[in-house]
Amino acid sequence: MRILAIETATRASSVALGEDGALVAMSVLVDGRAHVEFLVPAIDFCFERAGWDPDDLDLVAVDVGPGPYTGLRAGIATAEAVAAAVGVPIVTASSLTVLALRAATGRRRIWPIIDVRRGQIATAAFRPVPGGVMPDGPRELVSPEEFHALLDADRNDTLIVGDWQMLPDAVFRGLHRARKGRPRYPSADVLLEIAEMRAAQDEFAGIEDLQPIYLREPDAKINWSEFREEGLWPGAAS
Amino acid sequence: MSDGPLILGIETSCDETGVAVVAGLDVRSSVLASQTEEHARFGGVVPEVAARAHVEAIRPLVHEAVRQAGIHPGDIDAIAATQGPGLVGSLVVGYAFAKSLAWSLRKPFIGVDHMEGHLFAPRLEHAGYHPPAVVLLASGGHSQIVHVRGWGDYDVLGSTIDDAAGEAFDKLARFMGLGYPGGPAIDRASDGGDPAAIAFPRALRDRPFDVSFSGLKTSVTTFLEKAKAAGDVPPLPDVAASLQEAIVDALVEKTFNAVRETGARVVAGGGGVLANRRLRQRLAEEADAHDVELYLPSPALCTDNGAMIAAAANFWFDAGRETPWRSDVEPGLKLG
Ligand SMILES: [Zn+2]
Repeated sequence: MRILAIETATRASSVALGEDGALVAMSVLVDGRAHVEFLVPAIDFCFERAGWDPDDLDLVAVDVGPGPYTGLRAGIATAEAVAAAVGVPIVTASSLTVLALRAATGRRRIWPIIDVRRGQIATAAFRPVPGGVMPDGPRELVSPEEFHALLDADRNDTLIVGDWQMLPDAVFRGLHRARKGRPRYPSADVLLEIAEMRAAQDEFAGIEDLQPIYLREPDAKINWSEFREEGLWPGAAS
Repeated sequence: MSDGPLILGIETSCDETGVAVVAGLDVRSSVLASQTEEHARFGGVVPEVAARAHVEAIRPLVHEAVRQAGIHPGDIDAIAATQGPGLVGSLVVGYAFAKSLAWSLRKPFIGVDHMEGHLFAPRLEHAGYHPPAVVLLASGGHSQIVHVRGWGDYDVLGSTIDDAAGEAFDKLARFMGLGYPGGPAIDRASDGGDPAAIAFPRALRDRPFDVSFSGLKTSVTTFLEKAKAAGDVPPLPDVAASLQEAIVDALVEKTFNAVRETGARVVAGGGGVLANRRLRQRLAEEADAHDVELYLPSPALCTDNGAMIAAAANFWFDAGRETPWRSDVEPGLKLG
């Protein structure tokens, strides 16, 4: 099975091609503002090096977050267009799962984190199981202080992965059971592994899955004038 | 039986997801997912709400446009999308989709300036429309008067120095409790009203091609607050017709200043505000008086749509433009 994986949930965009469980080609760029610029040239590069045509694809995999929305939308739109053009299904994965799966630990409870901006991070607990990881708690949007409290309350030995460098040192102070580790960013080659597993279980994405994981409501303030309530001309609104 | 290249055009710069298939200048299909109702709750376009809706709409709409056109994706000669100006979160969806689709289908990709799309829209219905022309572009996001010297050769003579014309309609309609979008609401409310009932100001007499609507907004709100306090509020149709006349007057006057300045014998228009009945009527009267040809798109092609993007791309396809795979959206793109 030939898979294209697209990863745009963080500053690090990546594209990977995999065939029957093996990585064939991969391209990475760390630049939080370059997702749209990066994707098609990177896909083109990987296909050319692999000697593949778009029609050779069997599956497209895409990370749907959490993460900053504009990058995720670029990745999802790209995945949908390629899949639509060549007529193949899509599988999705969460950036937190991608991070947790790569985290090298046999026993620690894993806390992957993703910077979702505006002073918040997305996180969820995972526990290692033979051959992978299992979600072990809800997906949450927290402040650095709340993240400290989550770790402090965790009775297990823990491993924090993701972009923890962006957090203030104070977040990790006094957490004697916690270790910080790699990877820093989710990566498309890990997405390939998840895609193989999902496809084997027929877990293909429906239309409702093909959007970023939104943990926040859109910002919008309703700003009706007071005139409207009183009504200068009753019944005027259409 | 195509009389020109078959182009798929995708528009997602603001709050409408538009996809069309155009052969030459013949619209084979044009589909739209309008978000007006979603934004009406907020009285204006909310960028994050718009971006979310584009993600949901894009793939089904492309399928629908291709299906309605009765073509196979392989028949397409080029794929075009709006590159800017617009809301970055909205632009990214259509642009990334179009670019990736073009790459997958091994077709050329053409990034299009949204305003240029509006400039080309009248061509889809009027074969006689050719530069040199003066074109009035007015919508919720933009108000410009453009001298089209030739296709691809533009001189922006004037713009709004504050609110776009459509934005002025929206804000005034909201203040008056008429709902969103404001342009159509005020157009309807003005039925039977006297455009000369209240003399609202026409701004910027000293700048021949620029418009400004903030003074009008202040004037209307102050007038209505005083009228309300005095218990003497004029009938809605008179207020609506009068403020509409002030906006229309400004747009028509500046457009024909540009006609006199450039000597152009062709006038055209684009953007949602050009769907306004009074504006269309006044432009027609002035065009007659100046003995120039006037080409206005039908209302469905005034507002944002995929066909106008395909129409502009049709010109650039013939000119050999291929936008690089490396390109990105340009939210601040400027014409000319
Ligand atoms: Zn527009």
